[in-house]
Amino acid sequence: MSVVFRMEAPYRGAYELHRLSFGSGSPTVAIVGGLHGYELTGQHAVNMLATALRVSRPKGTVHLLPLVNTFGADESRKRWPFDDLDINHAFPGSPSGTAVERIAHALLQATEADICIDVHSGAPHVRELPHVRVPLGGEEVELGRSMGLPVVWRRPGDRLDATGLVGAWRQAGRKALLVEGGRGSTLDTNHSDTIARGLAALLGHLRILPSTNGPGIVADVTHGEVETHRAPFGGFFVPEVKLGQRVQPGQHLGHIQAPIGGERLGDLVAGRPGVIMTLRAYPMVHAQELLVRIAGTLA
Amino acid sequence: MSRTTRVVSVEMPSGGDVDIVRRRFEGSSGPRIAVVAGIRGDTPEGIRVAHELCQFLEGVEERLRGTVDVYPCANPLAAHRGSRLWPFFDVDLNRSFPGREDGHPPDRVAWALARDVHGAEQVIELRGAHPAFREAPQAQVRQRDGRAAELAMGGNVAVVWARHPGPAANSTFAHQQAGTIVLEGGTGNRVTPGVGRDLREGVLNIMGMIGVLAEDDLPFHWAALQRPVLVTDEEVVRVRAARGGLFLPEGTPWQEVEAGGLLGTVVDPSSGATCESVTSPVSGRLLAVREQPVVFPGSMVARVVMQ
Repeated sequence: MSVVFRMEAPYRGAYELHRLSFGSGSPTVAIVGGLHGYELTGQHAVNMLATALRVSRPKGTVHLLPLVNTFGADESRKRWPFDDLDINHAFPGSPSGTAVERIAHALLQATEADICIDVHSGAPHVRELPHVRVPLGGEEVELGRSMGLPVVWRRPGDRLDATGLVGAWRQAGRKALLVEGGRGSTLDTNHSDTIARGLAALLGHLRILPSTNGPGIVADVTHGEVETHRAPFGGFFVPEVKLGQRVQPGQHLGHIQAPIGGERLGDLVAGRPGVIMTLRAYPMVHAQELLVRIAGTLA
Repeated sequence: MSRTTRVVSVEMPSGGDVDIVRRRFEGSSGPRIAVVAGIRGDTPEGIRVAHELCQFLEGVEERLRGTVDVYPCANPLAAHRGSRLWPFFDVDLNRSFPGREDGHPPDRVAWALARDVHGAEQVIELRGAHPAFREAPQAQVRQRDGRAAELAMGGNVAVVWARHPGPAANSTFAHQQAGTIVLEGGTGNRVTPGVGRDLREGVLNIMGMIGVLAEDDLPFHWAALQRPVLVTDEEVVRVRAARGGLFLPEGTPWQEVEAGGLLGTVVDPSSGATCESVTSPVSGRLLAVREQPVVFPGSMVARVVMQ
């Protein structure tokens, strides 16, 4: 383990960006976790992969940075706590800028690689089925599919935002994937295990590690094949499905009831067959908030 | 008689609504001016000025030659707790424009506010300083927006800063309509004696320049107003700490500084020993001074306007 960036911090020990490197030569893969401090499931997944790599002989180089926002993780916060700024909005950063800009710059330097993966969890109020987000076409789609995560989500737009890590990697000409799974501020070891197996499958696909199967793709969708259910009004959302559950058209997904008294105010019903890839965890909801995403599958 | 209208209402999950309201002061036919405050919840200075404007306008409404719409607080939930961001969603409303009609509450508020303000002859946004800073009263306009800069010169501020748009500009309120003037100053999350009066008189004077308010109705003589300097990004220098620690400032806003003059020291928070003496790289005046002392390497501690 090496410290690739260090910055003094008032009232506490210095901030250090740690990198674990395995193997040597090409190809080179960089995997980042904990850009958001409270996204623990992704951090644990990267550390599970580190455990596997310690007893492997990689044919290529793997750089792991399991926890970037250490100070945020200490306080169960998404952002850098000092000035409440999101490191993932600070790319490409600057070596002479603010704290988050310096971290962003150092992280971009420390992830010089052919293929880069940014591992996240959902926000604390939603649960996400482990999935990989890739562009609509190109080599990244095949790399994403090679992970075998439950959902491959092909979507436009991620290439555009250069202030985010994935966008900055792509602007620098690197192949980049965004992996997401679990829920913020909590640890779901099953999802961590799924993500770690997906990462190992990708390394197998690249012949860095022996070939292994990922957890298995359930849905391979574009944005138009994802059915999104938002709250038609505010209230207390009670889910009637579980994350990863297969649903059919007409199936009840959950209902909104009055927070006081429990009067049933409305129901959510699936409009297409698919698998529940996003499910609201915190039940108090405002109108138009995301409650359920269904990744479409064949009936 | 002014009218109070609900621009948009946010239904809370546990019951009750949060309203974003507009107070309309309507005289004879003429241009419409929109004054918006409280887009972030940690800017009570702007909200205070908006309320004082309303009190003044109540007394002159029938003599107005146009319409003044005042939106005293666009982000009531954040203002309620003095936080910068919209609570729960943790969203910066000033990065949410133009918003979405079918989005979550911050998006819907941004959408409704932008739509309601749209078409005004002049838009003025009232802010406070960033919570970590004390600032001299200032107006910010878009670079190359000559008319806005000309009006802002009557805004009773120390500086009119013609800014080049940053990467996030398109998602800010001020960029939804060309010519918007941003007025700010004072101390973050506080009201500062004198600053509120300066900004209130600045807004009223701009109303007079546009012709909505008659000169006889101005509660001050125009000769008493400040005569600002007009600067661009190249003339505003950010000064950063090189070391982490506690920054102890030496200056106050709009104080003159010499090149090499001491702006403050960074001390070790454990021992109190001086780690760094921060000096001004240029001669000029202090536009902003760090008030919240904890700094990391690279934290901004001052802004200096070159002279």
